[in-house]
Parts: sequence; structure tokens; C-alpha cells
Amino acid sequence: MRFRTTARALCLVIFLLALAFSGSIAASDLFLRMDPALVGAAALAGRSLLWAFLPALVVVVSALFFGRIFCGYICPMGTTIDAADACFSRRRKTSGANGRISVRLKYYVLAFAAGSALAGVTFAFWAAPLSLITRFYGLVIYPVVLLVSNTAVSAVYPIASFMDFRALMFAEIPTPRYTTQIFVLLFFAAVFAGAALTPRFWCRYLCPSGALLALVSKKPVVRRRVSPDCNLCGICARGCPMGAIDPESPENTAHTECIACRTCSQICPKDAVTFSTGPAEAIDSPEPASPERRRFMFSGLAGAGTAAVALTGLNVVATDESDKGVVSPARLIRPPGALPEPEFLAACVRCGQCMAACPTNTLQPIWFSAGLLAVFSPSVTPRRKYCDPTCTACGHACPTGAIQTLAQKERVWAKIGTAVIYRQQCLAWEYKKSCMVCDEACPYGALEFEKRPDLPYPVPHVIEDKCSGCGHCEHACPVYNQAAIVVTPMNSLRLRPGDSFEYEAKTRGFDLSLDQKDEALPTDAAPYPDGSIPEPGQQESDGLAPGFDKGG
Amino acid sequence: MNKMDRRSFLRQLQGMLLFAGASMLFPSALPAQQKSPDISVVKGGIEPAVKKAVEMLGGIERFVKKGNRVVIKPNMSFDTGPERASNTHPEVIRTLAEMCRKAGADRVLVLDNPLRPAEKCIENSGIGAACDSVEKGMARTVTDPSRFSEVEIKGAGSLKKTEVMKEVLNADVLIAAPVAKSHSGAGVSLSMKGMMGLISNRRVMHRLDLHESITDLASLLTPQLTVIDASRVLSSGGPSGPGRVLEPETIIASADMVAADAYTVSAFEWYGDRYNPDQIKHIRMAHQRKLGRMDIENLKIGKTSV
Repeated sequence: MRFRTTARALCLVIFLLALAFSGSIAASDLFLRMDPALVGAAALAGRSLLWAFLPALVVVVSALFFGRIFCGYICPMGTTIDAADACFSRRRKTSGANGRISVRLKYYVLAFAAGSALAGVTFAFWAAPLSLITRFYGLVIYPVVLLVSNTAVSAVYPIASFMDFRALMFAEIPTPRYTTQIFVLLFFAAVFAGAALTPRFWCRYLCPSGALLALVSKKPVVRRRVSPDCNLCGICARGCPMGAIDPESPENTAHTECIACRTCSQICPKDAVTFSTGPAEAIDSPEPASPERRRFMFSGLAGAGTAAVALTGLNVVATDESDKGVVSPARLIRPPGALPEPEFLAACVRCGQCMAACPTNTLQPIWFSAGLLAVFSPSVTPRRKYCDPTCTACGHACPTGAIQTLAQKERVWAKIGTAVIYRQQCLAWEYKKSCMVCDEACPYGALEFEKRPDLPYPVPHVIEDKCSGCGHCEHACPVYNQAAIVVTPMNSLRLRPGDSFEYEAKTRGFDLSLDQKDEALPTDAAPYPDGSIPEPGQQESDGLAPGFDKGG
Repeated sequence: MNKMDRRSFLRQLQGMLLFAGASMLFPSALPAQQKSPDISVVKGGIEPAVKKAVEMLGGIERFVKKGNRVVIKPNMSFDTGPERASNTHPEVIRTLAEMCRKAGADRVLVLDNPLRPAEKCIENSGIGAACDSVEKGMARTVTDPSRFSEVEIKGAGSLKKTEVMKEVLNADVLIAAPVAKSHSGAGVSLSMKGMMGLISNRRVMHRLDLHESITDLASLLTPQLTVIDASRVLSSGGPSGPGRVLEPETIIASADMVAADAYTVSAFEWYGDRYNPDQIKHIRMAHQRKLGRMDIENLKIGKTSV
């Protein structure tokens, strides 16, 4: 028992640390890639098999030998549910199978997800455990922890400053914020409330990954076996968190439900229960609760049907290149390196790991703004903060390659959109004020100014071929609430793996560089002037540099 | 008028020569030389030029007393290197920090609230590493709103209140050490404009009147010493660059931030033309409000090379 507790705690801690540092460490997405339903749906919907999916295969194969050990020892969702159960439920734990709900339900959830994935749509994120739990910790718990930490650090600032303790004085903990987090929270409130009915309600009745593993662990090599010492007292059946033991005949085990937690062997007064390859005479449950074929088929069809409905939503991104008749959100900016939209949506498992990894917190989940298909998918939100043109954190964090891992050299060319100026809101254009903050903020040199005879201060123009859509300008724009310069998805580069962003960008005439040279003026100017100490001068010309006036 | 005879002429000449000779031995004997210049302009290598420029103003001891807390405000808002002239040259900041330390300052901090990602600014500007050689962790960025305190600006025209870094409010001495650069919104970004790096909410200044807000802010945050880094001048394309980079290899220092800015405006080309200080509205307003002087033709300017 101690081994199991340690293993689970360790797995949860590793999972949380990987999530916390997902922007900066390798393989931070390992747990996500172990989730069979999540990986299965992504592979099926995206019609792709990646080496990255290998861990899920290992988990499935492990179930053939050891049963659902992933559920019992590794899954951070299961550990979290058990922990919440221990915290919130005052009721004494009994296994009591809930007569009204069948453990078969989870098979139908799986069938639904598989059916929709076959139709090319991923719905697994509504139920796949690692997608759910990553979102929960990444978008709900982690921001709260960071907010509390930063508040604490800020509170001790006066003492730190007094003692000149620099590390604490200048410690600033980033405090990310996320949209939709309240829905994730409500969802988990419901999941935790399920524990009031039975322990691990979610795992028993709804988890599609549990269902997938159950399908292959009907008779694992190492499984629960009961010796003839059993006196049929039934203590094990009452103590089983998964309701896998028949209370009438405790020597019977539903191996599909068993997560090999070994609670039964711990609590057996007769020491009659072992988990072993053991003697052949051990009795197995003759009738494991298999999915009913017709209902299974029906659920699959329902999934495919729902996918079809989702695909007929108005906001769905067109699959043809012409883009005609597409009604998608005007401001939906995908992260740099995101696959072409239909493939992106098929591959994205909505785990939110990219958003947790994003160092500027610009990546946000969207809700229904881009239709049922795109729920919880990531969107760059420049008003919150820019998308750093040298950062590749989201691609590194993505478990399914929906966001590609970009090489540093390629990153700068991964154009995600183009900025557009709303002149009627612009301080310089409309309100005739001195501003040009967009120019100040732009790392690509994509803003140029114009001095107009009818306006007192220079006004900005976007050079669209130099703009990468990073959103520095929109973030910095001083216009209140709605910025006067915003990034639109126009001309974003959405390429498949293997295609070069630099090549594609250059082909399309883009000139994206963080080290732009100003072509109008020589940059290797001679020491000024004539190597002598500069004299204060008098105005020699009427040409007014931006920000200068005629004096007075 | 009496006609001067030869004897009295010779006597006078003798006296003048004696006095001149004595003056050469004891430079401070000349009344005119007793007063340090209002603006010092030194051409040469960065470290000796910074030292000389401050020395001409009366030495760092004039500004920094033993036990003082000093904040140096550089330009390090951009994650680009010194060659682009968007940030102050790290050598300027290191030299100033060392001088403050030698003068017995208790705490020397180099602070800015950057536009680009903070760690990258500290690193790529070179200011972090340069300051670490004086004292580890001296150059810092401050962005969290909790590290700023709201302050009223009395007599302000636009910016009636603002949030200033607490560490700046705690300091005894403020030293402005901007790079000389053009600015598409404010004309130039020098010591006055640079004070925007010590506050939290800069956006509001653009919604008000940028130049008037800069003047208001300068009335609140008035550095005791301004050292302008014109080792390179970003003559166009500022504040972020890239643009035309002049290399006058000059350091300009003054106890009057407005005068330092005014001299810098008039001394260099901006977008290929020469301008007068009064063509920058915030310098003009600061002069009118007597925060400092832009009439550099009436000021004593000390020039030398090292």
C-alpha cells in the first residue's frame, strides 16, 4: 500500500512540476502522451501516427500484462479524484455499486469519442483524463497558486527593501489569468461531487481511457486471485474503490474494473488475496461487464453524428483553400507553428498545456466563439500580452504536434497574423496626439510613420510584409480598452511538418526580421561631425523629424 | 579719458602677466574657473569621458554623499545590443555605478521598467553583466504593480498623479543616464522622456498630452545628475531602432536635466537635419515652467577631449 501511495504521489508531483515548467523543459507532455483515449482520438481524428504517441501504446500493452495499473498508479486524474474524495466526503467509504448506473457507460463514452474521431473531429477532450486534469491544474489551480505566491512576495517587499535583500526585493512571480476557467472549475466540481455516490465515480463510469484499458484487461497475466482460504466474508468487496468484486462471491473479480490497487489483499483478514500469475485454479469472473454491442455501435454513430452537426456550424473553418464563405472570429489568432486549421483542430486535444507554458500568458482557451469544434483551443490574445517572436514554448509543450516545435531560426518567420490600424480610434490619426507607441513596441520594424500637413503629429502605417502579427503593438497601444491597432489572422502561415516557414514566407514576399536595417539611411555613419566635439547648431532645414515642431 | 603712458601700460602689463602666470599655476584662482560648467561635454572613450564629464561638474561627491541610496536610470527597454543605440551603453552605467560606490553610496540600483521581456533586456543590453562586475544583482527590472506607489504631481498640467517605483521613492539620489536617441512620438528620448521608465502606467500619458505629461513627470522625478550617453546616437528610427546610428563618442553631463537634453538636441542631426531645443515641446515647456534651462547659449558649456 505504501508503494502505491508513494508511486501515485510521485507521479502527481512529476506531472505538476512538468506542467509548471512546461515552457522550459523537455518532455513536459509525457503524461499527456500516456493517455490512451486522448492519443487515440488525436491519431484517429488527425489520421496520423507519431512516435510521440508511443507512451500511450506502452500503457495499453501494460494493461495486457498487469491490468489497469495506469489508472491505479499513474493517472494524475485518479489521484486527484481520490484526494478530493478524501477531503470532501465525510461518508465512510463503501464500495456499493450504484445499481442505476452501469459501468458500461464508459464504453459508450469511448465509442462516442471514437466515432467522432473517425469523422475527423476530436471530442475526446471532454472526457480524456489527462486533457481534463492538465486543464484543471494549468488553468484553474496554478494561476491561483501563483497569485497567492506573488501576493506573499509583494507583502514582504518593505522588509526585503529595508534589509537590501535583492533576490526578494525584485522577485516578481508572473500571475497568469485565463478565460473559461470557471467552466473548468464547475466541471471538476461535478466530477468531485460524483464521489458522493461512489468512490472514483468518474473512473468507474465515465473515463474513456479507463474503458479502453478495460477492453484489453479482461484477463491480464498478473491479476487478482483468491485462494481457497477465503471465507466469503465480503470485506474486500466493500473496500474495493472500483466495485470490481462481487459481494455475493468475493472470489469473483471483474478484471476490467480492477485497477490493481491491492486494497483487497491488504484488508483481507485471511490473507487469501494475491495479485500474481498464480495458480490456474483461481476463479475469474465469468461474465465481465462487456459493452453491449448495439449500444456501443449506437454511441459510435452518435459521436459521428454529433461530429457532423459540429462540422455544419457556421463558424467552422473551411477545408478548401479559397476561404470563400468562411465566417470565423475576426480575431482568432493561432499560436506560431499551428498546423493548417482543420488539421490543427483534429490534432489539438485541448489540454491547455500550451497556455500553461506560454510565458506571456497571451495564449488563452476560447469557448464557443469558433463553434463547437474549437472549444478550449488556444488563441493568441495580444491585448493581454504579445507573442514573443523568439519564444517556442507552446510548440515544445504540445503533446500531439498540433503546434509544431519550431527551430529558433524558423520561429521568426512563423507569421501568425497582420496588424491593422483602426484610424478612427488612433490617438495620432483621430485625436491628433503625439503617440507612435506601436512603432516603439514593434520588434519587426513593421511600423512606419507619415507626417501629414493636416495632422500635427506623425501617424502610423503598418508595413504588412514586415509584420509577423506578434501583437507587441496591440498590447502596448495606449487607447483605452479596444486597441487602435489590432492583429488579425490575415496572411498567417499555417504549414505542415517539414515545410519551411522561412521558405514559404520569402516565397510570399514577407520580410520578417528582428534585426531590420533601415534601408533609407546608411547605418555605418562616420563619427560625427569630423571627429570634433559637436557644436550646438541652428536649424538648417524645414524638414521636421517626427515629434519635433516649429518651436516657439 | 586719460591717455595711458608707457610706464603705466608696462605696469599694468606686468600685473596681467603675473596674474596670468599665477592662474596657470593655480587654475582655481581665476574667478571664471571657480564656477564649474553648467553642461560638460567630453569626447573620448566611454569610461574616461564619463569620469571627466562628472568631474568637470564638481565630481561625483557633489551629487552622491556617503550613505546615500542611489538609483541610476538607464535605457534598457529593448532586448538589443549596444550597437543599435536603443539602450544606454553598459560601460556608461558600469562607470557611473562604480563612481557612486566609490563616493560611499550605501545602495546603488540600476532600474528600468522595460517594454520587451525583462530578462532579455537585462541580458541583451549588456547592462546586467556590466553591473554584475560592480555588484551582483545591481541592474534590475521592476514591472509588478505592487512595487509602485501612487504619487501626486503638484502643479501638473496633464499628469496629476502617477505610480512611481517604490525603490525610486526610497532613494536619495536619482541619476538619469539615457542614450541619445530619436523618438517617433516625443521627438527625442533623453533624460526627461527616460523618466517614463520609472513609472507603472505610461499608456495614460499618451492619452493625455505626451509632451505635457513628460514635463509633469520631470517636475516629480528630477535627477540630481544627468549623464547622456552620446557615444552612439540613434539619429533616426528611435526609440527601438534600427535606424541611423551616429558615433560622436561624446558624453554630456549636467545637474540640469533640461539643459542636458537641450544641448543634446541641438548638437546632433535628427533625421538628417539640425534642430533647436525649443522644437521639442517638452523641453520648451520645462524651460517655461523653470524646471531647467534650454537657453544653452546663455549657459556655461565646458568642453574637452580625453
